[in-house]
Amino acid sequence: MVAHDFLAMGTSCCLFAVDRPVSRLRAGELWVRRLAARLTRFSADSELSRLNAAAGEWMPISADFEAALRAALRASEMSAGLVNAGVLPALLAAGYTRSLADGPPSAALMQGQPPARLPEVLDVGRRRARVRPGAGIDLGGIAKGWMADRLCELIGPNAVVNLGGDLRAVGGGPRGQGWPVRMGDVTLMLRGHGAATSSVRRRRWAGGHHLIDPRTGLPAETGLEEVSVVAAGGFEAEVVAKTALLLGPNLAPAYCAAHAMAWWLDGRHDG
Amino acid sequence: MRPGILKIAATLLTLGSTAASAVFVTSHLKNATAPLQPPVLTSTSTLGGTVVVGPSVQPTSQDPITSTYAS
Repeated sequence: MVAHDFLAMGTSCCLFAVDRPVSRLRAGELWVRRLAARLTRFSADSELSRLNAAAGEWMPISADFEAALRAALRASEMSAGLVNAGVLPALLAAGYTRSLADGPPSAALMQGQPPARLPEVLDVGRRRARVRPGAGIDLGGIAKGWMADRLCELIGPNAVVNLGGDLRAVGGGPRGQGWPVRMGDVTLMLRGHGAATSSVRRRRWAGGHHLIDPRTGLPAETGLEEVSVVAAGGFEAEVVAKTALLLGPNLAPAYCAAHAMAWWLDGRHDG
Repeated sequence: MRPGILKIAATLLTLGSTAASAVFVTSHLKNATAPLQPPVLTSTSTLGGTVVVGPSVQPTSQDPITSTYAS
């Protein structure tokens, strides 16, 4: 088994593979960096930033970016609108105006404006897209789960891709029984699964955090602080985890029972 | 074939199907005590949260290679 760790998208990433050279994993890192540079909102040159800046106008986009935007629309549909990539104006109002690597946000707006549903503000055509005026897109964790699924296919049939907790595992792992992955305080054998964590304990600052509740337009305060799930893929797991966290402790168990294969729910402050 | 015979045959077929359906339904009542979900492993973890593991995922005692924990 070979492994490769690196930092990208403001988080730690690790790749594992069996019967593949480590050069394949290094190529995977380059793939992540290239795609992340297109999807970040923290760079004015990214495709995402240019799309947001051109609000109201159709903009030509790459095939990868088109696929990512379609994934965001699918996430909105899967979650009945709770996973909404159109929360960028609310994120900016909450103070999340720059990468946390550049320092914590200093301001927070306490009165929110619920964003419109994503299909109402984002149009995606063949190699082109348009954001309605006044709206903005932030792909956030959706992109990580979606990228983990795609990269895992590129690396090989027996591999794990973990992009900041959003992961995809395929194949039998080094011993043929699956890949042992920690979730909460249990270790699970993942084989053809995805997993993800949605948390408001990180990317947090005085007066706010990064997870916007689209029903209020404010940082989510649902009683749950961290949800991890195992699902069929990394993208699906990310959508289910985020939806469960936004649903809160009363509805999340039933929702996870219907959409996840294993899950971890925690609402306790840990510091 | 005479129309009257066809009508009688269709009526008998309908009545027979209705009677057979009624017999089948009453002899296959829903089991109200049947489990709604497959068995799952549920525990309150030492970290304070709740872990539920469904039957399609196996826990293991092996050392993990990575974690779902976001960083």
